[in-house]
Amino acid sequence: MRAFRNPLREWRAAPAAIFLVAVAILAAGFAIILQNEVTFRANRDRQAQVAAQVLAGSVTAAVDFNDPAASQQAVDAFRVNPQVRYVGVFDRSGRVLGAYDRAARSALVDLARLPPPPESNYRVAVPIESAGQRIGTVIYEVQREALSRRLTRYLTLGALAVMAALVIFTLGMAQAALRRANDELSERAEALGQANELLAEQMEERAKAEDQLRQSQKMQALGQLTGGIAHDFNNLLTVIQGSADILSRDDLADDRRKRFARAIVQAAENAAVLTSQLLAFARRQPLKPELVDLSTLVASMTELLDRTMGERIRIETSLGISCPVTVDRNQLQSAVLNVASNARDAMPDGGTLAIAVSNVPSGSGERMSAIAISDTGSGMDVETASRIFEPFFTTKMTGKGTGLGLSQVYGFATQSGGDVLVESEPGKGTTVTILLPCSDAEVVAEAKLEDAEVPQQARAEILVVEDNEDVGHFAETLLSELGHSVTLATSGEEALELTRARDFDLVFSDVVMPGMGGLRLSEQLAEEKPDLPVILATGYSQEIAQSGSGGRPVILKPYRLATLSQALVDAMSASGK
Amino acid sequence: MRRAPVLFLAIAITLLAAAPASADISDTAVKAAFIPKFARYVTWPPAAPARTAGQMVLCIIGDDPFGATLNQAASSQSVDGRPFVIKRLSSAAGSGDCAIAFIDGSHAGETLSALGRQPILTVTDARSSSARGVIHFAIVGGRVRFFIDNAQAQARGLTISSRLLALAIGVNQR
Repeated sequence: MRAFRNPLREWRAAPAAIFLVAVAILAAGFAIILQNEVTFRANRDRQAQVAAQVLAGSVTAAVDFNDPAASQQAVDAFRVNPQVRYVGVFDRSGRVLGAYDRAARSALVDLARLPPPPESNYRVAVPIESAGQRIGTVIYEVQREALSRRLTRYLTLGALAVMAALVIFTLGMAQAALRRANDELSERAEALGQANELLAEQMEERAKAEDQLRQSQKMQALGQLTGGIAHDFNNLLTVIQGSADILSRDDLADDRRKRFARAIVQAAENAAVLTSQLLAFARRQPLKPELVDLSTLVASMTELLDRTMGERIRIETSLGISCPVTVDRNQLQSAVLNVASNARDAMPDGGTLAIAVSNVPSGSGERMSAIAISDTGSGMDVETASRIFEPFFTTKMTGKGTGLGLSQVYGFATQSGGDVLVESEPGKGTTVTILLPCSDAEVVAEAKLEDAEVPQQARAEILVVEDNEDVGHFAETLLSELGHSVTLATSGEEALELTRARDFDLVFSDVVMPGMGGLRLSEQLAEEKPDLPVILATGYSQEIAQSGSGGRPVILKPYRLATLSQALVDAMSASGK
Repeated sequence: MRRAPVLFLAIAITLLAAAPASADISDTAVKAAFIPKFARYVTWPPAAPARTAGQMVLCIIGDDPFGATLNQAASSQSVDGRPFVIKRLSSAAGSGDCAIAFIDGSHAGETLSALGRQPILTVTDARSSSARGVIHFAIVGGRVRFFIDNAQAQARGLTISSRLLALAIGVNQR
């Protein structure tokens, strides 16, 4: 920061000083000219006086002895000086003894008749003295220098003074202008600095406001999420609770008992779909990635899609060549179905659903496979399109959609390293493109879909490890139903002790438990009893989602009897039992 | 105001000079006026009476053509405050204290010789004498003028001002 100054006063003071200096130079110049002129005049007068006196001295004898020739000779000596206009030597009585007149005006005229000098001449009269007596007079007349000539002589000096003053003035003005520009510049720099500070403040405020907005949006989303979950689960729980109440009656007819049992199963299945979609959105579902060829997968889904879309919607597929991708097959199918069902809902009066599979280069140059699903439906405005991936955001009537479908699509695609693109315009349909990164591995023939039948198997000794008592007893019931002998442990540590005490054919363990979890238990068992097969069960495990199960079979909660039975058969046959 | 009498005097003298007076009388008067004036342009040796005496002795030796005219002219002149005294002599005898000596007459040559080398400014006139003193009057162009014998002057120990020499018709140098 520069010291406080008054720029206005400075600006005014500078030119005043410059002006004064310039005027002083001019005044000095003219004073010198004046002084010169005065000195010049005095000099000229003195010179004339001296010349006259010299003449007077030299003609003393000539006048004394009345010698005109000698007087004239002395006078003639002054002819050589062009400024001398008249020289005359007169005796005591005023009679002329010798004279020279350049203009031949009044040569050899006595003193009494000598005309007065013209204005342009300067005349001096000097007495001729001899032995203290005045014996005559010398008249000496020189031409004054013409005023114009004197002015010409002084013009050089005057012009120099004027030029010096001008130079000073110009330099001073330039200096003042420079200083003013400098001041303006520093003022501007200051203003710029202030503007910068202001901008920084505004940016900070905006960042704060954005933070607040984000926080409130987060809270809004969280509220929407929890509300949605509560709403959907309450519906399902209502069905389950009601059905269970009716089932607990003693006098229930067999067919009605089966119907209510199916209602419970259906509600539970719906709830399982709901939670898996939630997890998919949260990108925390345990994925079972495998190599999938997108064209083959879409081709295998056409029948299912036909049924889902209904008769009024035509399905067109364009299955181009695409690279294989490593994804969870079931999740991919769900994603395609979710997008397709949204497309169906956007075309209540029928239309065309187009599914295209192709390769696309992504922005980073990485090769991607794409499934583009287009409809000819109502389309979306920008506002809606920007929110479709939010969980529980739906434009459908209450009860018609969960608001989780596209959330699952987004969660699945991003968890698989890909992306989802949405292009839409009101009245012009929507295209949703699922992008998935190409895999280097080769595709193997697609395995057959498993039969839902419960396979027959030999009786086995099974150790169930489950900290939740209800789930533990449920598992025990299911396994007993399958004809197995079941021992229940409530922690990993207890299970480890039991396996050391006696032999089991298989360990069926929950993953998430206080203390030793399922993963650590299985690792420990792999060391102590490498031949003992272990099946892990989990509803959600961060560990497994992050690092996998270490090659051990995992079944997802909620599991059904058939799933559990198949897992047992697979595990026993793999371990050779 | 001061000019008026000077002017009057000038006119009077001019008229006087232009008057048809005798040329001899006029020339003699001029010579009488000149003789005391010579003293201003001559320097005598320090021991000469012209320097030591309280007065300047102007001697007329032989004929006297001036009379009272010279007395008149000399009375208005002085040298360094010392007045002129006119002394008329018939011969060189008694000329010891003369500063200036006008020598005229038939015996002028003898008189000059008799004066020897005394520090005396000798003046002669061509009209009446062929003998030449230091200053020798002559009429040239109708005007009174003079020759100067500078050699004789130096022989007498006199120094003559160049201003006077400049006015001479001729100067006899050594």
